[in-house]
Amino acid sequence: MSTDLTHDNHAHHDNHDHHHVETWLTKYIFSQDHKMIAKQFLITGIFWAFIGGLLSLFFRTQLAWPNETFPFLETLLGKWAEGGQITQEFYYSLVTMHGTILVFFVLTAGLSGTFSNLLIPLQIGARDMASPLMNMLSYWFFFAAGIVMFSSFFIQTGPASGGWTAYPPLNGIRDISINLGSGLGFDLWILSMALFIVSSLLGGLNYVATIINLRTKGMTMMRMPLLMWALLFTAILGLLSFPALLSSAVLLEFDRILDTSFFLNNIVIGGDLLAYKGGSPILFQHLFWFLGHPEVYIIIFPAMGIVSEVLSVHAKKPVFGYKAMIMSIGSITVVGFFVWAHHMFVTGMNPNLGIVFIIFTLLIAIPSSIKVFNWLTTLWRGNLKLTPPMMFAIGFISFFIFGGITGLFLGNAPVDLPLHDTYFVVAHFHVVMGVSAFFGMWAGVYQWFPKMYGRFMNDTMAYIHFWGSLIGGYLVFVPMHFLTSVPRRYYSFEQFVTFDIFQDVNIVITMGAFLVFATQIVFLINFFYSIFKGRKMTDDNLNPWGANTLEWTTPVERIHGNWPGDIPQVYRWPYDYSVNGNEVNPQNKPLEEGEAEH
Amino acid sequence: MTTTTLLSIFALFLFFLVIFYVSKTIELSAIAKNGLKKDYIKATKVNAYMAMFFYIVGMFLLFLTTTSLAPRLLPESASVHGDKLDEMFDITLYITTAVFILTQSLLFFFVYFYRYDKKRTSYFFPHSNKLEMVWTIVPAVVLVFLVFKGIGVWKDLFDFSKLEGKDPIVFEVTGKQFTWIVRYPGADGKLGEREISEENINDFNAKYNLPNELGILWENKESQDDVYPNDIYLVKDRPVLVKLGALDVIHSFYLPHFRVKMDCVPGLPTQFMFTPKYTTAEFKERLKNKKFWRDIDPKTGEARWKNFKYELACAELCGKSHYGMQKNVVVVTQAEYDAWLKEQVPMYKTVVKDAMAKVDKK
Repeated sequence: MSTDLTHDNHAHHDNHDHHHVETWLTKYIFSQDHKMIAKQFLITGIFWAFIGGLLSLFFRTQLAWPNETFPFLETLLGKWAEGGQITQEFYYSLVTMHGTILVFFVLTAGLSGTFSNLLIPLQIGARDMASPLMNMLSYWFFFAAGIVMFSSFFIQTGPASGGWTAYPPLNGIRDISINLGSGLGFDLWILSMALFIVSSLLGGLNYVATIINLRTKGMTMMRMPLLMWALLFTAILGLLSFPALLSSAVLLEFDRILDTSFFLNNIVIGGDLLAYKGGSPILFQHLFWFLGHPEVYIIIFPAMGIVSEVLSVHAKKPVFGYKAMIMSIGSITVVGFFVWAHHMFVTGMNPNLGIVFIIFTLLIAIPSSIKVFNWLTTLWRGNLKLTPPMMFAIGFISFFIFGGITGLFLGNAPVDLPLHDTYFVVAHFHVVMGVSAFFGMWAGVYQWFPKMYGRFMNDTMAYIHFWGSLIGGYLVFVPMHFLTSVPRRYYSFEQFVTFDIFQDVNIVITMGAFLVFATQIVFLINFFYSIFKGRKMTDDNLNPWGANTLEWTTPVERIHGNWPGDIPQVYRWPYDYSVNGNEVNPQNKPLEEGEAEH
Repeated sequence: MTTTTLLSIFALFLFFLVIFYVSKTIELSAIAKNGLKKDYIKATKVNAYMAMFFYIVGMFLLFLTTTSLAPRLLPESASVHGDKLDEMFDITLYITTAVFILTQSLLFFFVYFYRYDKKRTSYFFPHSNKLEMVWTIVPAVVLVFLVFKGIGVWKDLFDFSKLEGKDPIVFEVTGKQFTWIVRYPGADGKLGEREISEENINDFNAKYNLPNELGILWENKESQDDVYPNDIYLVKDRPVLVKLGALDVIHSFYLPHFRVKMDCVPGLPTQFMFTPKYTTAEFKERLKNKKFWRDIDPKTGEARWKNFKYELACAELCGKSHYGMQKNVVVVTQAEYDAWLKEQVPMYKTVVKDAMAKVDKK
């Protein structure tokens, strides 16, 4: 049911524009317009992706050539690469910050933040978010989190270095003798995460409120594009799970600065038993992973939603199984709250508890595979235009199959036991998050770039970006899966006969990483150049991809309130492609004489 | 910065510049020819052929990579329970490989065979409950099978009642930055009790000028014959119960060849049981003729199987030398084990007794 009483289609709403005085500051910096905020999230996300990716090149260099020195590194990193080799402590900071930056700043803020902000009002037919002010604040809290995290790189005792998973006691004791990066650097990490969580919660509240309340006339829930459903579930997941991380971060900081014992018990350091008593490091893990697992669905759902939209538009075919897709994403959301301890199978927990987590984890494979089969069926007997966004959507499916499948090994506790904390896990989560989610994000960028900037990105560079990332992604991660026994977070493999036999594979992986990074430079050049000089989208080409959804009914030049006149009314679901003798049947096109609604 | 570095950076810069200008030129000439709208028909054809090419070459390369790297995977399990874990891994591998091949093939076939052709139209096929049921029920059946089998194996791993009457070797390993403190019971076959208290650790250290990190109760006879060897020795076919803990941060006791892994958590004792199947010497014999292991290692100049050894590694990030917590694990016969144990001198005798006496005498 759409509450169209308060949010009407009357034209007088654009008088709003005439009275609204826009300065450069309120248009580009402190904007409350969801489209500008989306771009802020995107560009900030791109900045952090560059940093996070760059960090990986440093630690991959150490892994591939552990005995070489690179004077260039010392020039760049100073004391962190004394003698031209990255120090052990900085190596661990590198992997910690790489994980933190990419999981949170890029794949959460950069992905949900961008596309939720850009598309929710446009696709449901709203003038803006339910609370534009809160929306603006959600970006600025993210920005502040970034400033704090960035500053932690320049601390004397180094940035956080106890893993992005921040387990105590390694991260629970503010003592640089047990971990150099456990001083101020980690306190800043916690502050940054707190700010980030506030940002996510503010955003999430807005997205849910907007989708539930501000749909235009005729836009029932069951006529919403699948991307909207995906973003709705993403926001709900975040609202319910981020508070767990916030509370665990606060308690961890209390242990660090107030000498509490939430997560600490019987610690002996330097020959002395410390005063902490009664806490449990495992409690932290439960709290952390209670967010940590839903977090990965927060990352993948927007990508999945984008893929559904892109596939249907460029295949000119409905996404197969609209209801099943919603039920799948809904059940993953619910069941996803009951699987967190599959990250903790070897902590010594009661094996019966482990059984519960095996059951629910493997259960989640069912809706996930339904989605894959539905996407495949969407392609079947379509008429596929292999545009850049379409290629990335297809690449997403390929990598999601690959990465999802290795999850079946890790979700089954006896199979997980030898694989836990090895490169098999690293390979698994990189393929699903570090490749698939990115492919979803890139599909979204190429698809909606014209909507954001009124111009297109260059196709040649786009295809180079695609093929480089596809080939590079497989090149890096297929070999990594064979390092099934090698523990993760190792500075070098040389101390162990058992692991040193894989040293040459490290070189292949590192070269692949450099290739992938170089490919991203092509994307960066393309992205920033096209903002100013890309092929223009003109008024006679408002719907260049031939899509049914409402965002393509707005003018090329972005305006506050999105539509100059009334907000379009919706008469049909978004997937009437190649039906009624038309390739395209936009949602705001009334049903024809004798046409039944799908 | 060296000239090489500068030249490389410049070359890289040129490389991207060329890509940029070529791409820009292609775009501009397309606009000049066809205006601002694009139909992507030619691009579709090119990318469809590339996709099929990628699929064929990719599958082939995947096969090659597998055959080339598979021999390096952990050899057969050196423990009894490990065989069951490996069997579960293999079953999962067969199922997932089949699914992988099926779905990737469908994906790339569809991309190629249904590429845009202006003579065709897409087939409007929005849903089919029958199809949804098929690919809900089939995965569900497969997963229920994996779940039940997995649960069975998992429960067995922790059924410590199985050790009753079996006379396992019970020893203790405590992780600390960045080593493992290994403690075996002495001649009395019992590990001395520990008390983790300020009195027993901090005060003991202050009084006797001797650290007592583990909180051993040195007055007890059981503690006085405990030994702290450098290596871990185990007996072929004899069950082991390893008692685990940590002093400072979380470590994880990981024996790759025995498929053993259990976290060592400060303040939360854990344990794991397993039975070695082969002595180190026997295991090396079994590797002698296996691909990769029979080849010469360029680093040592010898066949790899010759330098094989069982090892203990840490599998939970514990600080800057997490990667260096190596210990040798040796499996021998009961007789060899007894001889080795006899050689170890209790720490009480070598260090503690005198340190305590010095102070207590006063």
